[in-house]
Amino acid sequence: MSQPSDVEFVNVTKRFGDIVAVDHVSLSVERGAFFSFLGPSGCGKTTSLRMIAGFDQPTEGDVRLSGESVVGTPPYKRPVNMVFQHYALFPHLNVGDNIGYGLRQRTPQPPRAEIEKQVSETLELVRLSGYENRRIWELSGGQQQRVALARALINHPTVLLLDEPLAALDRKLRREMQIELQTLQREVGITFILVTHDQEEALSMSDTICIMHDGRIVQTGSPTQLYDEPINRYVADFVGKSNFFEGKVVEADGQGARIETPAGRTFAGRNPRDAASLQAGAAAVLAVRPEIIFVGSPGAGAPYDADVEAPAVIRNRIFLGEQTEYLVEAEGLGEVLVRAPKHAETQTGGFNPGDQVVIGWQAAAALALEDA
Amino acid sequence: MPKDYKDNMPISRRKFIEELRRYEKGSVSRRHFLGVTGLGFATAVMAGAVPGLRPRKAYSAGELGDRVVLATWPNYHDEANFSAFTKATGVNVQVNVFGSNEEMLAKLQAGGSGWDVFVPTNYTITTYVGEKLIEPLDLKMIPNYAADAFEPRFADAGTVGGTVYAVPKNWGTTGYVVNTKHTKGKKLTTWKEFWDITKTDFSGRTMVHDYQLTTIGNALKYFGYSFNSVDPKELADAEKLLLEVKPHLFAINSDYQPPLRNGDAWMSMCWTGDGKQLNTDMPEMEYVIGKEGGEIWSDFYAVPKRAEHRAAGYALINFLLDPAVNARETLAHGYPVADSRTNKLLPKELLEDPILYPAQELLDTLEFGAAATLTDPNRAELLARFKSA
Amino acid sequence: MQGKWINRLLLMPATAWFLVMLVLPLVVVAIFSFGERGAAGGYVPAFTLDQYLNLPARFTAFKNTLLLAPAGTLAALLIAYPLAYFLAVRASPKWKTILLVMVIVPFWTSILIRTYAWIFILGGRGIPTLLEFIGIEGVRLINTPFAVLVGIVYGYLPLMVFPIYVSLEKLDKRLLEASADLGSPPLRTFRQVTLPLSIPGIATGCMLVFILLMGEFLIPALLGGGKVFFIGNALVDLFLQSRNWAYGSAVAATLVIIMLVTVTLYMKLVARVGEQREDVSIL
Repeated sequence: MSQPSDVEFVNVTKRFGDIVAVDHVSLSVERGAFFSFLGPSGCGKTTSLRMIAGFDQPTEGDVRLSGESVVGTPPYKRPVNMVFQHYALFPHLNVGDNIGYGLRQRTPQPPRAEIEKQVSETLELVRLSGYENRRIWELSGGQQQRVALARALINHPTVLLLDEPLAALDRKLRREMQIELQTLQREVGITFILVTHDQEEALSMSDTICIMHDGRIVQTGSPTQLYDEPINRYVADFVGKSNFFEGKVVEADGQGARIETPAGRTFAGRNPRDAASLQAGAAAVLAVRPEIIFVGSPGAGAPYDADVEAPAVIRNRIFLGEQTEYLVEAEGLGEVLVRAPKHAETQTGGFNPGDQVVIGWQAAAALALEDA
Repeated sequence: MPKDYKDNMPISRRKFIEELRRYEKGSVSRRHFLGVTGLGFATAVMAGAVPGLRPRKAYSAGELGDRVVLATWPNYHDEANFSAFTKATGVNVQVNVFGSNEEMLAKLQAGGSGWDVFVPTNYTITTYVGEKLIEPLDLKMIPNYAADAFEPRFADAGTVGGTVYAVPKNWGTTGYVVNTKHTKGKKLTTWKEFWDITKTDFSGRTMVHDYQLTTIGNALKYFGYSFNSVDPKELADAEKLLLEVKPHLFAINSDYQPPLRNGDAWMSMCWTGDGKQLNTDMPEMEYVIGKEGGEIWSDFYAVPKRAEHRAAGYALINFLLDPAVNARETLAHGYPVADSRTNKLLPKELLEDPILYPAQELLDTLEFGAAATLTDPNRAELLARFKSA
Repeated sequence: MQGKWINRLLLMPATAWFLVMLVLPLVVVAIFSFGERGAAGGYVPAFTLDQYLNLPARFTAFKNTLLLAPAGTLAALLIAYPLAYFLAVRASPKWKTILLVMVIVPFWTSILIRTYAWIFILGGRGIPTLLEFIGIEGVRLINTPFAVLVGIVYGYLPLMVFPIYVSLEKLDKRLLEASADLGSPPLRTFRQVTLPLSIPGIATGCMLVFILLMGEFLIPALLGGGKVFFIGNALVDLFLQSRNWAYGSAVAATLVIIMLVTVTLYMKLVARVGEQREDVSIL
């Protein structure tokens, strides 16, 4: 083992009445990592976070912090701190008192001057120097976010938990804060565990992402791994965009498979790493990311040796700036989403709805996945 | 004496709410409210004045209007008589019940009392006349009033300067009632004993009226002064006694039947009718007239000036003075009548009852209340100081 | 222009009400308080300070009011707070509704009837009899200041419960988690978060109860047996028994002044807290 783990779940299950929120989850988070739980609401990610914080206790299994079981330990005795979804700042306290709150709970309480010093240092860390006496409601959303961060970080927790910390911010601010959070994490060297439903947020900040679905972990891995090697349709769908062509496996060899669609076309795709190998005759999908599909004028020829080509009609065009997204109706394929990069657009001059085009891709870039 | 038949009947919700509103407005006393709602032990006296339940009676309807407002005292009427009146005339009787003459005077002075008939006590009538608050009675409208049938000492106070302003209702005495279970065989006979035992064996068990005339008057009797004294020195003595006794009192309250019945209080200043009612139900309750004296009183019917239902008011007085009706009244409430015609209709044992008709030597010591006590600011303020001390 | 007219129109009923029902009576009371009692009672115009000089004669009534009103407020607060807390924080949603209704239900009957029930509960055949069963004898409750206090707390409890309940109900439960997360055990969290954040409710409840208690007369009359005298009782007596309108007005005016002073001081205190806080305004 290269790094000791800060947080470990051993076969953890959490039930609320009949509802199973977390179902036999085992995982481990390395010290100093930026770890994310990603999934739609109700997938069990927030419950997992709350079990680390101590607000919920597992029904079965063990939760460990730095190797020690914390099952039954109340939140106020755990060396973790949380940044709450809507910050949960104390409205009756000013910024300084909010941030110093954790220090004041210690026994013995640090001297006043010491608390003030640390508060001021932490404010500097989150770039809010001199805001000690401000009222909470005088702050903007981004500033409140930073106060919430500072209030947690001042305690030097072993693990910092972040529950959808950026959800309340507008898009531009969210981007800025993503970068800031990442920088901060490197600076303080604390393990960060983030819960989010926003794949872009997870992809841009995390070292490791754990994708959850219906209380179970579907796949854990680095952002690149999840994007490039999704183990099934669910992950491929959740991380980034994909076109899916459903069909049956006609042939599989562990490296890849051939899938036949109901329309009678057969496509080849490779098997991602870590994915279970496909069995002939099983239902499967071919996943093709829109950016690996080219679109060109009929007769103009493919930009590379395409393994699959199909005539199509442009249905819709969305200009995204750095690229253009087309929805096309392809013969024998149905609707297909295609992304053309700027340089290709310059070459082809772009297309308009109704235009006849040809689309195609290389089989090596397509993935043959379990239909789950 | 038979208890009022209403006593054990549950009150209707509607009537209860109505009584409650009236209590809250201050138009009826607490004592009345408690009595009428059955919350207290006092017998209920209440006219059928519930709107919507009024019988429609063609006979002489319109002539007298549909209602008459009577201001009176608690436990002081037979409801059956009011129903009979309504049946005969179509006029509903609306009853406002009061706890002291002072309250009645205050209400009339403030104006807009809305009463058509009220029941003042003998000593207050000259003040009402002086303040021009009541009208000389039109005796032609009260044929049932026969001046010669009434004992003059109970009727005279209604006549001021030769003019009849009020006709007699009932008379009675103010003594005290004592629960003899707690007197250890000792027989109480005087006001001095009343006050002294309160300070010792009966500490925390005695009640006095929330009423200047009787509470101050009976304190004055402790020293042998006149019941009606307004002499500052004598009042000062009475005040000293009252303040000294106050910590030993159970309560200062004219609603004394409930605590006496449930055993919280053992002794209280008491009027004839209450004494009779308590003694009937609990023979250990003895009615005592202090040997030193005390109050004898007579109540009257009078008509306020500018009464809204004046004719109906006169009709009601006339009806209640009918000897047969009056006899039923006495049977219901236990207060004697000064009308010889009525007494002929009453059973012998009632006419010989020592509570209603005390021995002559006791009666001789009693005094009628004096007009001066009603308006004397010192007596009013003395009682207020006593209560707020 | 039009907006101004609408504003005036909107404020007119309240202004008229305020002038006729509040200002006018106060003016009358003020004028009467410098007058004299008529021979048979009532009011005679004069200009004298005698009524005010005679105020010490009601010292005990003022004292009782000024002791028992705050004591009653405090006692009501101490009982109402845990109840409101339970209702707002701990009761399950189903029970919460039922329990809230149970708090309100007594309001459907008059305070008079409810207080009257206490005469029996506190009277000789009530609690003292029960106490005798367990060997405690000679306890007297009815017609004591304690009985009045019990009646006051009982009668005014819902007025205290509701504002506190509302402020606790809207308290963000995540703040409690945040506090626990930052290392504070439940009791400290209560002191540092819950309590300060329910101050608006406490302030409102105390204000309501205190003001109403200053004018109370029914409960002392019923449960004090005429022996525990409030200013309200003194006023009833002065106007309805001794008919001393001048003196009664002086006592009433003094009560109004005491209330104004107390309430102003209280407002200042609350405002000082409010300066620091968004969620605490004047009431």
